[in-house]
Amino acid sequence: MAEAAPDHTELYDTLVARRYFSKFDQIIAHMPRVALELERDGVLSRAELRQTGAWTEALARSFQALGLKYLMTGRAEGPGLQQRLAFDRHESGFPLANELLFMANDAAQAAGRLAGMAAETEIKDRMIRQILTEQTIPSQLQYALAQRLYHQMLVAGELFLASNDVRAQWLSDDKGRRRWLLSWAVYDTQLNLPVVYLLELDDTGRQPLPKDERRWPEVQTHLMAQSLGGLKLLTIAQGFDRDFADLHPKQLKRLHLGPMYSSAFTLQSGPIGEVLAAARAPEGQDWALVWTLETLRSNGSQMEKTGWFSSAERQLFALDPFSGRGAETGATSTQRFVILPERPYQVLAELNPPGFRDVTRFIVSSSGHVMKAR
Amino acid sequence: MADFDAAIRQSQAEVAKAQTRISAITARVEEARAKIATGGPEIDIENATLEDVHKHTELMNANIAELIMGLDDVTAGFSKDFDEMRNKTGWESFVGIFARGKSEAMRQERMRTASIDAKLQDLIGKSDTIVRLLQSQLDLLNEQKTKVEGNLAETLTDRETVVGLLESVRAEVAALDPRLIELENRIAVEQDAAARTRLETELAALNARHNALIQDEQVHLAKSQTLERYIEKGKTWVDSLTNQAATQLVLINKLQTDTRQRVVLYDALSKSLKTAQQQDVAHRINEIGVKTDQEAQAAMAGIGAATNQRMADMLEAHEDHMVFARKVLEQKAKADERFARRFAAIVEKHDKNLYGN
Repeated sequence: MAEAAPDHTELYDTLVARRYFSKFDQIIAHMPRVALELERDGVLSRAELRQTGAWTEALARSFQALGLKYLMTGRAEGPGLQQRLAFDRHESGFPLANELLFMANDAAQAAGRLAGMAAETEIKDRMIRQILTEQTIPSQLQYALAQRLYHQMLVAGELFLASNDVRAQWLSDDKGRRRWLLSWAVYDTQLNLPVVYLLELDDTGRQPLPKDERRWPEVQTHLMAQSLGGLKLLTIAQGFDRDFADLHPKQLKRLHLGPMYSSAFTLQSGPIGEVLAAARAPEGQDWALVWTLETLRSNGSQMEKTGWFSSAERQLFALDPFSGRGAETGATSTQRFVILPERPYQVLAELNPPGFRDVTRFIVSSSGHVMKAR
Repeated sequence: MADFDAAIRQSQAEVAKAQTRISAITARVEEARAKIATGGPEIDIENATLEDVHKHTELMNANIAELIMGLDDVTAGFSKDFDEMRNKTGWESFVGIFARGKSEAMRQERMRTASIDAKLQDLIGKSDTIVRLLQSQLDLLNEQKTKVEGNLAETLTDRETVVGLLESVRAEVAALDPRLIELENRIAVEQDAAARTRLETELAALNARHNALIQDEQVHLAKSQTLERYIEKGKTWVDSLTNQAATQLVLINKLQTDTRQRVVLYDALSKSLKTAQQQDVAHRINEIGVKTDQEAQAAMAGIGAATNQRMADMLEAHEDHMVFARKVLEQKAKADERFARRFAAIVEKHDKNLYGN
């Protein structure tokens, strides 16, 4: 059996775990505002913004659920069960994908387990009784209540899981060529990062795609199975184009919603590590989040014979025009954004490390204000 | 996996049975305690019953261990998937005889939809079911253990009190004995009938007191012995519960670690297979890996051999060096000696002024 990678670390202490979750609550709260800025700059379309927003909300809920699951870390843990959050502290900062896989398993059984748990009011009642009569801290009851709330969140659904099914949004209709925006999200198990995929495609099928009982499930499984961080966008798009004769991918975007760097939690090398170390920011301000957006656009199409009497439309994708890097990245363009609070930004601007020249910076304040700097 | 579900159900039944038995034993322990407190007849916690529970728990643990082994069947399914990802199916090979390109395209298409996510989720689910089964057992064991331990602590203090009482009674008896002897002696020598009667009355009272004390001693002794027996049984039971809990913990930990690592490993393998196959970057990732390892090993071995060689050479050279050095030293010593001898002769000649004689 292979050993778990050493970059994975577990949170043992109650306060550390709380701090980790409150940090992520804050960071995720900034995500929709940054996405809005991206829409204003024309990096994302309005429809894409809406989808991205939905995924970040789901992500926020998943983090809340995890926060409840591990609320009592180090204080009251179910005997025997390891109740500790494991996260990847190297080039990710996000929880391990395993956490979400186990959460999916919990979600599948949440309804059954909830039925076996005491009601919220009852637990609170028992807590009060224990506090008043025994004059002790009701840790076990707190644990029970946290678990109850966690399972309630799971039942409520709308969570960001390890793989989140494809959703379709209608965009336009041009003489039988319907245009759809498909969006789905996965939690990359290798990088331990949430990744959002946005695919704009033309549909020349007889039935509208989401209503087509034959193609829609096939499309869904195909796209989910192809959402690997190791695959280039070009590979994904071409494979999709080839497997579905009447669907024509026009634009594919992949947005990595991380990694998160923090001097308190993660190990980082390179300029960002220096920046965070030099900033000596107070608690809650010592982080930086990096988003990477890869875009692949089709700039034309050609007909290709697929048999003796049939032919299919195949897309030609534009690759990065600069110095043949396109073949390497498999995308038309790759943009990076760094989101960080004022203190680390100040240091970043002063040090101005060479790797950050073409990275768009978003400075966020605790009041929710987002400012862009280049 | 009908087998697995059936096995799960069987294990659940076994666990339920074992749990009722364990609870029954604890109930019996508590009942015995209550009886002792009220001074009622002693209930014996039979050794036979304890052994019965042990046998049953062992059976249950074997059953669960089998379930954990059963997970290996699930994992065997993964290796089939991996093989399918690596190789062509029968139909694809058949097509490949006529059209190599078509066969490859078919395989590519199959790879694009291949995913082991559902299987991973299945593995997690099954392992979780077993963990919960073990967990419920562990919870019960811990609960029973605290109950019995609490009970035992009380009983121990009880026994201390009883032993204290017993000792004070014994001390009183011991104090009475010389007084009794003294009275009896005085009665034996007393001439006056009235005084004798008074003494005899006193002796009778003292005797009654003595008898009462002896009876008390008996009662306390019996109680202490009962409590002692109870404590022994209780301790055995706590020991057994602790052992069982430890077994459960070991099983839970093994299962959880295995599952976590399996998920990571299988996921990584399937993804690298897919990526490698599709992107042609590291087409023969396995072979490359093996070859690299072999080369690295050979290189390491080479380095090791070279180092050893050098060490040997150095040692040999050292020997030569030492031999040489010793030779030089010997020669020097000889030369010194010669010099001293010759010098001594000259000095002697000088001192005695024997020049030219």
